Amino acid sequence: MGRYQAFLRQRYRAVGGYTGLVCLIAGIGILSPLLALIFYSEEWVLAGGFLVPGLLLSAFGWAAWRWLTPKTGRSLTLQEGSVIVVLSWLLVILVGTVPFIWISGLTFTQAVFESTSGWTTTGLSVVDVTQAPRLILLFRSITELYGGAGLAIITLSAIAGPSGSGLSSAEGRSEQLAPHVRRSAKLVLSIYSGYVAIGILALRIAGMDWFDAVNHAFAALSTGGFSTRPDSIGYWDSVPVEVVTWVLMLLGSFNFVLSYLILRGKWSSLWRDGQVRLQIVLIGGSAIVLWLGITGAIYGSVGKAFRVAVFEPISALTTTGFSTVGYGDWSGLGWLILILLMLVGGGAGSTAGGIKQMRIYILYRSLLWEIQRMLMPDRLVSEPRIWQTNNRRFISDEQVRQTALFVFLYLATYGVISLIMAGHGYSLDESLFETASAMSTVGLSVGVTAPDAPTTLLWTEIVAMFLGRLEFLTVLVGLIRLVRDIRPAISHD
Amino acid sequence: MAKTQEIVVVGCGRLGSLLASYLSNEGHNVVIVDAREAAFDQLSAEFSGFTVVGDATEMAILEQSRINRADCLLAVTDQDNINLMVAQVARTMFEVSTVIARVYDPTREAIYKEFGIDTISPTQLSADALLNILHQSPLVMP
Repeated sequence: MGRYQAFLRQRYRAVGGYTGLVCLIAGIGILSPLLALIFYSEEWVLAGGFLVPGLLLSAFGWAAWRWLTPKTGRSLTLQEGSVIVVLSWLLVILVGTVPFIWISGLTFTQAVFESTSGWTTTGLSVVDVTQAPRLILLFRSITELYGGAGLAIITLSAIAGPSGSGLSSAEGRSEQLAPHVRRSAKLVLSIYSGYVAIGILALRIAGMDWFDAVNHAFAALSTGGFSTRPDSIGYWDSVPVEVVTWVLMLLGSFNFVLSYLILRGKWSSLWRDGQVRLQIVLIGGSAIVLWLGITGAIYGSVGKAFRVAVFEPISALTTTGFSTVGYGDWSGLGWLILILLMLVGGGAGSTAGGIKQMRIYILYRSLLWEIQRMLMPDRLVSEPRIWQTNNRRFISDEQVRQTALFVFLYLATYGVISLIMAGHGYSLDESLFETASAMSTVGLSVGVTAPDAPTTLLWTEIVAMFLGRLEFLTVLVGLIRLVRDIRPAISHD
Repeated sequence: MAKTQEIVVVGCGRLGSLLASYLSNEGHNVVIVDAREAAFDQLSAEFSGFTVVGDATEMAILEQSRINRADCLLAVTDQDNINLMVAQVARTMFEVSTVIARVYDPTREAIYKEFGIDTISPTQLSADALLNILHQSPLVMP
């Protein structure tokens, strides 16, 4: 055994160990719907559907963690973090299909779709929510709750995990709240749980029953968007419910660093932050255009037209995917606005998906800077700056390059997946809408996603959701690293 | 140092990066400051604290480094004067309880002592270590 092989094996022991740790935490997540049996004891016959996969995953995770994790060298690089994130997400999604197959009788493809949609906080669904037992509905919301916080973040905060920020960065959480990765993860989780608790209470007061309030609070704050009703939030048709949901969705799409600063009373960071400004402009502008262009004409009363014109843009931009109306009678204008908002997505370092407002804002500022520079003398030295929470950052050329490449990759993938959708015989607008919804982990649907949709179509959407949640590069880096290392690590020469 | 501390490390050279990585690995909240962004490449993968680019002799940079809540400041740039100044500011303006500075010039240590700043002098330490070896060696023994 060569030195390199020994080194690789030692590193992959660590990777295996921490993958196990993530699985242990996720296994507990799969078991957690069983707590609801206290209130709905008539559904105890379904318990096996959660007990078996949950216990198996936890046991496997615990064993891997205990036996493989090395005593020394507990830090992980970004590449190793990527391998762990990809491996554990794939495993968790796979095990998450068991309750759907066992209890709801979905096919394997449908179950993988539903599970991916849940963990990635998308909210597209092939489950008939009117027939589904309460445990399944709650399980779907819980997968979104976990996926929203991020499996790596929960793992880092719960038990002594690896040192260094490789794991959390791999899951797209490189921005930290505190100068230590574990402390930061704990803060994120406290803020998140606080929001969830307040959200449940607020929705209950606004008029939902406890079960719906819990599910919708989970789904809104994780910007997931699974609902317990076929008509989503539209079922209640109530102003208080909608307003509470606005707030919860927006909180979910806020950068956690920003939430943290606001909670500590630093309001100035809110108004200065580039993402917040962009968000205000996008939601305000879209609401006005939608109101004047579409909802004002379709929905009779002014109140209803206004509510729809505000709710749908927030739902699309925060990548939540709740809806209050169907979009069948909307014109191309409304569809295009929603598609664009979905592509932009929520704040960086939040539970939301999409290209992320930070990237759009960086590109916008760089464009302005470029134009300004052309108008100025040649020798002028200037640096473009943006406000990111309460820090003033200078945009480097490297950052612009990375951002532009990411956006290019995103849009190129968007084009390819839309092409595959259109190849299945759906119209152009349907394909573009549904692809944006899946890739940005939104969950708004114009009817393409259905239990009887072609298998290949569902798998395409599964890939889109997975890539979208883990921000492409992590998946690419993780998989390529893994494939490259497998052969040297196991060969016998 | 049992519980989690807030530590500011000024200077991300060989010593600074090593200290920051160790302390971060031990679970402390570490902020490291250096004037050059490229200096942070020396930090190892264990480091998960904040990095601040800037001149630590400026109050604004120190404030950005969360010095207001720091329990400890380590001034370890390669400039004695900068270390002295930063340490002094941390001690008197921000009242950081533990301030340690690195000084190459042993004759300056006396001044630091007056300001209540603990010092480590690599020059003095090397001299002591060398003398120690010499004294134990039979060749030089009188």
